[in-house]
Amino acid sequence: MIDRLTAALGRSRADYTEIRVERTWSTAVTFRGRRLESATASEDQGGFVRALSAGGGWGIASFTSLDRLEAMVARAVELSRAVRVTPPIRLADVAPHQADAILDLDGDVRGIPIAEKKRLLEAYNGELLAVSDRVVDTVATYRDEVSEYWYVNSDGTALHELRPEVTLSGTAVARRDGTIEKGLESIGLRRGWSSVQDKAPGFRQAAERAVQLLDAPMVTGGAYPVILDPELAGVFIHEAFGHLSEADFVYENPQAREMMTLGRRFGKPALSVGDNGAAPGLRGTLPFDDEGTPTQDTPLIKAGILVGRLHSRETAATMGERATGNARAISFRHPPIVRMTNTYIANGQGSLDDLIRDVKLGVYACGAFGGQTLLENFSFTAAYGRMIRDGHLAELVKDVVLAGNLFQTLDRIDHIAGDFRWNQMGGGCGKGGQAPLPVTEGAPHVRIEEALVGGDVPAGSA
Amino acid sequence: MIERLLERARRRADGGADALWRQVERTSVAFEWGRLKAAGVAEEAGVNVRVRHRGRVGVAGTTAVDGSTDDVLVRALASAELGESVDLEFPGPAPLPALASYFDRAANASLDDLIGIGRSLLERLEREGCRVNVTIERETAETRVANSAGAAGAYRSTAIGISAELWRIAGDDVLAIGDAVEGADLPGDDAVSALVGSVNARFEHALRVVAPPQGALPVIFTPLGLSALMLPVTQALSGKAVLQGISPLAARIGEQVFDARFSLTDDALRAGRAASRPLDDECVPSRTTCLVERGVVRRFVYDLETAARAGTQSTGHGQRTIFGKPVPGYTNLVLGVEGALGDVGAPHAAPLQLGGGLLAEIRDGLLVDELIGVGQGNVIGGAFSHPVALAYRVERGAISGRVKDAAVAGNAYHLWNRVGGFGTDARWAGARCTPSVLLDGVSVARR
Repeated sequence: MIDRLTAALGRSRADYTEIRVERTWSTAVTFRGRRLESATASEDQGGFVRALSAGGGWGIASFTSLDRLEAMVARAVELSRAVRVTPPIRLADVAPHQADAILDLDGDVRGIPIAEKKRLLEAYNGELLAVSDRVVDTVATYRDEVSEYWYVNSDGTALHELRPEVTLSGTAVARRDGTIEKGLESIGLRRGWSSVQDKAPGFRQAAERAVQLLDAPMVTGGAYPVILDPELAGVFIHEAFGHLSEADFVYENPQAREMMTLGRRFGKPALSVGDNGAAPGLRGTLPFDDEGTPTQDTPLIKAGILVGRLHSRETAATMGERATGNARAISFRHPPIVRMTNTYIANGQGSLDDLIRDVKLGVYACGAFGGQTLLENFSFTAAYGRMIRDGHLAELVKDVVLAGNLFQTLDRIDHIAGDFRWNQMGGGCGKGGQAPLPVTEGAPHVRIEEALVGGDVPAGSA
Repeated sequence: MIERLLERARRRADGGADALWRQVERTSVAFEWGRLKAAGVAEEAGVNVRVRHRGRVGVAGTTAVDGSTDDVLVRALASAELGESVDLEFPGPAPLPALASYFDRAANASLDDLIGIGRSLLERLEREGCRVNVTIERETAETRVANSAGAAGAYRSTAIGISAELWRIAGDDVLAIGDAVEGADLPGDDAVSALVGSVNARFEHALRVVAPPQGALPVIFTPLGLSALMLPVTQALSGKAVLQGISPLAARIGEQVFDARFSLTDDALRAGRAASRPLDDECVPSRTTCLVERGVVRRFVYDLETAARAGTQSTGHGQRTIFGKPVPGYTNLVLGVEGALGDVGAPHAAPLQLGGGLLAEIRDGLLVDELIGVGQGNVIGGAFSHPVALAYRVERGAISGRVKDAAVAGNAYHLWNRVGGFGTDARWAGARCTPSVLLDGVSVARR
């Protein structure tokens, strides 16, 4: 395949050309309640060409029929020439690489019959249902894929990779009278079949949580000291800060550049943040990004000061900085854009107890049901919370929604514990119509001096 | 190609089969931060097949359609072996409604035509201290569906989407105002002008930042801002949610649940809309489905499988992609208001008047154009609580400025019974056509 792609590159009349081809085998199994909703196996294949002519824009072509490869290279070149761009697009230098990387398949999912996968998920779904007769509904999904990936560009890079991925998730719905609560377990790994065995305890805990929440009061809305567990802290840093550090947001927008000037203070000295696409064994990890740039650990905030950002080759060249290996595409259907990989808040010191010891009245917010950032505002829904009273964890509370202004909130992070962990969850990140992109977030427990907690909206019925 | 596939499927699956083949060609142009940056094409073809064998249903899909399609059939049969039994019957041949879904003007627009539309938008939106992003996408598609009971349909379709976003960053204040025009045909100058007018009007009002009000207040939700109120209703009207026992509307067919001026229709035959089609993805002829009539719940939407499980008929809402099984989905949702609306075919009311004539009735309240986090949490229950992304304060019948750091909360089912009025500005926002709606007693909190 590499030879065929290299030959096609040779016929391109553009100054820069890259070609990606992917072939993906995937299976998906879903249970709802006791019923198997679907069990399907799919095959997806296709290619992507991107060309850049001197003074031209990006010419892009994607296709599912590989017979069209040569024609689509010509089409991309033609499109690039049809678009005039001043000043011209430049790309940061990246040394050419040749690599043949088979990631650890850890039990190749392609060799496992779909009936086995159904059995595994049925067992985990059974764990959810067995917890209580208050669990009235479940949704459990298993999804795996192995993607064979080829990439060449006219700078001399040629890559071949075999990339595995497996995700498991379970939602338990508990009900008593008109009250409905949910518990969620989610696992996402860039590994294979072996890594999703023995996951029953997490599913049980999710269902137990849903049942416990039936008796929990809603949190009383207001401003509190809030402690985020590592899962929610990870989601928070990804959503509320990570997206701003993507250079395509700032590189051609002078006002945005000013807002994100390196050296600006973003938090107290306790806060350090980074993005590490090379961290071993995580879902956002790959040896190279989709422009053939090696991935790396990129510091973004060091001791409260903005020190870096995430780049593609184009944004790096425009800003006079170095490519960081963050140009990613979710599939051959899309061009690479600047994305996060594994984003983290670096470890601090001490334990959760140290964070809550001097909190008289506060909220311990755990897990994430969802989150969205729009511009400088964010909103996150925690899976559940515990009140903190006189330095101790107290009663379970539900409907914990955190909302605020990200600049103010980052600045109010005053204590970071030393219990860092990566959250190996499923789902993924969405941007520019490309979702879900496999990413990971990691953090220790984090304390925010004061944050607004909403969620005291009376539940209604029709 | 699907004829051959179905022929082979018929021999191997005792309960029949159906299949969908779709080929799509997309052309796109992107202006990034005020500059034309990229032009692209995409060609995609794939097939999705469903078989019923020994009473069980299985599905498989592939984009590897260059060679033999045996493999996808084998995978569908393997999927059926695991499946639970469903009394799914494939519909027989039926006459299809006439529908123009393919527009030459859209299909034949050249790359330069598309770039030209983008440039004219850019010129009319650019201003000092701001940046503009514009994307234009044109799609032509060919769809074929058929089943072993002899039903078949094929149609070509076109779709055009034009979106523009105006960004202004001043210190740490980030303002982004966007809008889009979507349809099956190339939009005329009036639609493009309306898009410009919409962005400009909302931008001008946003320059002055004022303190948000607080309390249980009258709030106008614009057609773009209405999602938090519509989503619980559309989720609850899905036959799938009813079947799962999670729809609060499940047992309420024939009951008055909403304001008597609230009617909701799903119209798969609406002229000029990209989601319109003569038949659904399971060979069921399209029609117009009244979901809520003058506040009374009339119908839920079903595809073949959920209909079979619920013991009813498909309403022609089967939607399927190349991968995965069909699911019930809406086409064009139209919120019609008795007597207040004429033909709502116009993409924008022009000249754009924010609030659609509802401002005059408000002494102190809010106009909400976009919320953060819609769709998170337990949506179907109706309760929502969202910070505003773009909202304006309304004082003494006029917009006094943009509010930041405010949140709105309430319950969609309660609020749809506290309608203060429907605006005269009905327009399409994606696949949904609504006017602005004034709701009384929405909880507004300051942060």
